[in-house]
Amino acid sequence: MSSSSHKLFRIAAVVLRLGLGAVFGYAAWVKLREPWMLFAISVDAYHVLPEWGAVAVARTLPWFELALAVMLLTGIGKRISLPAASALLAVFFGLMVRSYARGEGIDCGCFGPGEAISPITLLRDGGLLAASLLLSVLAFRPLAAKRGDSVPVLSHSPAPVGNPQAE
Amino acid sequence: MKLSCALALTLLPLVVAASPIDKGKAFGNPAAPVTIELFSDFQCPSCRALHMDLLPNIMRDFVIPGKAYLVYKEFPLPMHNHSREAAAYACAAARVGKYEQVADVLFQNQPTWANDGKVFQTVASVLTPAEQKKVEMLAKDPAVLAEVQDDVQEGQVKRVNQTPTMIIIAHGKEYPIPGALNYNLLRGFLDGLAK
Repeated sequence: MSSSSHKLFRIAAVVLRLGLGAVFGYAAWVKLREPWMLFAISVDAYHVLPEWGAVAVARTLPWFELALAVMLLTGIGKRISLPAASALLAVFFGLMVRSYARGEGIDCGCFGPGEAISPITLLRDGGLLAASLLLSVLAFRPLAAKRGDSVPVLSHSPAPVGNPQAE
Repeated sequence: MKLSCALALTLLPLVVAASPIDKGKAFGNPAAPVTIELFSDFQCPSCRALHMDLLPNIMRDFVIPGKAYLVYKEFPLPMHNHSREAAAYACAAARVGKYEQVADVLFQNQPTWANDGKVFQTVASVLTPAEQKKVEMLAKDPAVLAEVQDDVQEGQVKRVNQTPTMIIIAHGKEYPIPGALNYNLLRGFLDGLAK
């Protein structure tokens, strides 16, 4: 990978992370500005948690999303925030696919009420999950990203012991 | 003073009856802090569950005490072959003051009439012979058919994409809630809005 294309790749990764942070921030804001009971109803509609579980998720998840948004936007603790975001998105995506496959016709609950799970919401959340996973992988390969190596950092070639041309 | 009060009390039902929202399909206090618009389809099983299990609780805890104003809206889905006909009979029954009774009997006997198509016979079971004649005639009235279509169009504008869907309106905001849901959570939500 050339230096300029590597730079572009790094810029793209930053833009992607900021975008992901903005999405989490928006999701948190939409939920926090409405009564939390409304989000509890959306969580309960997935039928995976008991009533107290849905209430607990509704009261805590928006704050967790907000914390993730702040971390992603500032770039602090990327090795924590990106895997956490990926895990969260994987859970959301799995639940949405399950509900859609069962034909439950419930609200996504992603960005407040009134958005039914559809191929579009699945595509959107699948895309976010893919982006988050990619960023997570990159977060754990900082040497390759910083040095601009074209060779993956894990495949070090052994250094030559002597100089064959000197012989 | 007494005369004007008496006049106002006499005219009040006429004013309410003339309101575009109330055609015998609205229940409770129109000035309640919460309005619940219920978009449903008489042939949809989830609507039946909501009508039979959830609605009595909503009526008891919110509509009768004056905390919520319930408005029924028709949203017959194209996949159900008798639901538009049932909606037309229900709207016609609303014009003789029997919407609730007709809605009850339609939902209670949904598996039967949805199968054999005997919608009017089901509706007729809760009407007097005179009402039966009137409802049968009104159900074919273009104004009643237009009323059903108006409800459908209103639902489409409000992005109703499934039945049942409750649109809860309070403090100038609308909250669409689809599906049959947990009453404890709904009660908590409505209590919060009704304060």
